[in-house]
Amino acid sequence: MAAASPALAALLAHPAIWRGDDVAPEPAAVPSGYAALDAALPGRGWPQGALTEVVLEREGIGEIRLTLPALARVQAAGRDVVWIAPPHRPYAPALVQGGLDLARLVIVRCAVPKDALWAFEQALRAPECGAAFAWLPTHDERALRRLQVAAREGRTWGVLWRRPGQHGSAAAAPLRLALAPRDGRLAVRVVKRRGAALPRPVVVDVSEIGVRAAMPAPLPSFGTRPGRIAALTRR
Amino acid sequence: MACKGDMPLWACLLFPSLPLDVFARAQAVPDVERPFVVGSGGRTPRVVAADAAAHAAGIRAGQLLSAALAFAPELVLRDRDGDAEARALAQLATWALTFTPTACIVPPDAVLADIGGSERLFGGLPRLAAHLVGGARALGYAARLSIAPTAGAALLLARADRTRPVTDVRALPSALAGVPLARVDMDDATRTTLREAGITTFGEAAALPRDGLARRFGAALVAAIDHALGAAPDPRPPFVPPPRFASRLELPAPVHDAEALGFGVQRLVQEFSTWLAARSLGVTRLTLTLAHERHVRQRGVPATVVPFALGAPARMPAHVLSVLRERLARVALPAPVEALVLTSDETAPLPGRNLGLLPGDDADAVEVPLLDRLRARLGDDAVLRVAVHADHRPELAMRDAAVGGAGGAPAAVPDAPRPVWLLAEPQPLAHLVETQPWVLRDGPERIESGWWDGRDVRRDYFVATTPAGETTWIYRDHRYGIDDGEWFLHGLFA
Repeated sequence: MAAASPALAALLAHPAIWRGDDVAPEPAAVPSGYAALDAALPGRGWPQGALTEVVLEREGIGEIRLTLPALARVQAAGRDVVWIAPPHRPYAPALVQGGLDLARLVIVRCAVPKDALWAFEQALRAPECGAAFAWLPTHDERALRRLQVAAREGRTWGVLWRRPGQHGSAAAAPLRLALAPRDGRLAVRVVKRRGAALPRPVVVDVSEIGVRAAMPAPLPSFGTRPGRIAALTRR
Repeated sequence: MACKGDMPLWACLLFPSLPLDVFARAQAVPDVERPFVVGSGGRTPRVVAADAAAHAAGIRAGQLLSAALAFAPELVLRDRDGDAEARALAQLATWALTFTPTACIVPPDAVLADIGGSERLFGGLPRLAAHLVGGARALGYAARLSIAPTAGAALLLARADRTRPVTDVRALPSALAGVPLARVDMDDATRTTLREAGITTFGEAAALPRDGLARRFGAALVAAIDHALGAAPDPRPPFVPPPRFASRLELPAPVHDAEALGFGVQRLVQEFSTWLAARSLGVTRLTLTLAHERHVRQRGVPATVVPFALGAPARMPAHVLSVLRERLARVALPAPVEALVLTSDETAPLPGRNLGLLPGDDADAVEVPLLDRLRARLGDDAVLRVAVHADHRPELAMRDAAVGGAGGAPAAVPDAPRPVWLLAEPQPLAHLVETQPWVLRDGPERIESGWWDGRDVRRDYFVATTPAGETTWIYRDHRYGIDDGEWFLHGLFA
């Protein structure tokens, strides 16, 4: 989709122009901070005003770091970020390293899934909330459709996170991603999007954030077998 | 002549049924079946005020209570509460300050407000008058409104039940001429002398030579006449709203169900909202206290206290009310409630809103902020922020911070890698034996701290990748020596 000239590219970027060979235009999107990912997402970024569903192969593969640059952008635009029922304690020093403004991050703890669902819908609908993440087990199609409508009305970037092993649902969310680790980087498979399907996963390097670039050589100072956790193998 | 806006114009709001209203306003709908009467108390109690049902039964103010009971044996009686009436006037004066810079209280039943500068703001006198009477009714008080260029005249016209507004000072003598002199404040001896002299109306007294009038009836009468006519200045002490809001609402009957408190709470919140507006404040923390019946209190059951906080300074009644209602719905009452007390604990300056430019711009149509809605339903401790805390120990380098509280200075963040998820408890890795190695990416980072408070740590932290591809934060515990400690998983680089 290389445009012949910048002027033509600008013209074609107009939201009223739809091209069949490309991803369908989205009303608004938050640039993800990763050029390769933006290219794969409709609207060139995380969809604002829609629900995104993310399925994980495992936890701790950089799934949150993938979203941090976009969250920082949302906060810079003066809107809050709300995390509902996160699976672990969001660790403040890491979030600051990732560029988040802690004064604009709200964590909601919920005792029962019903409360989390309610809180998610409220957050998606609220104009002051620019991004709402929720870790929810629900597959109820009606609930998901409600969430999608709420996200559209509130113009909020909503992400429904699935725990590792949980399946995605067939319904509602117009964008679904599946994340898996690949050689120290993160493979993002666009399972569903508006517009043409994407056959190959996008590989993103999120190690810039929080973790220093991977060291090529194992550390010499470590235990009896360099590069390995001796304690694990000794016992 | 000065321009119209500079001319003072006084509105007098007179509350003829104030003794009744201080009790009746806690009820959404008046009980038409049972006559309600306020008595004077004392040895020979008389009727001070009677509601419509009592009136229909033949009960009149001034009757002996025994006579009233003969008319309607089932009537509900409350003794007159002078303190409550004084509080009501203060509340009404506070509310008056939301549309005028100057208001004063005239005990026992009136509030004066200088509306000279507000007339045009509200779009003319008729609309302002409707706003005044309607606003008082919304607070639960029946008001009689009169408007005149002087405070004294406004008060006299209201007392004489002449509600046609007078806006020109030259029209005052004719407007006041027929007002009975009995409506002017004076002692009984003077009143009797005047009546015996055949002087019964304001006009007759005002027509007499002032020096003679002063000599025979005292300077006070002359001053009252001159103040009313605008011939002499009439300074009145302006009302200053109290620095802290606390208001108590007695319920007409004990309430057993928290849901049923809604109407009383609404009254208090409206009142609170006017206080905030008069002081250009918004509330961030307030307390609703539910006082239980006396016999329950004597058994040692304390009042139910419902404190709550708002994410940002708020003033709109709809906003405060929705948060309170949500919270009240989850309160379990140990005993019936007799009275409600609303107090402000913390306020912050909140500039006033401009009035809407277009008719559709309704200032009351305010969306309750998300944080307040979440906290009202889920509880204060379920909605929080995280903050960085200056401590080397990873588990102490973060604290939960209250939403809405002033964020402290942000603490410095270490340069070394930190995981997005921190496990609540470090997990021993000993039993996670893997055949494939974990690869260390970064480290060691020695963290040694806390020997002074018994939670000391001596750890070497590493960033490690598991065979499955997860990036983890692990450490080797060296508390009991070097290089033989156990391994723990402490975080995930999610």
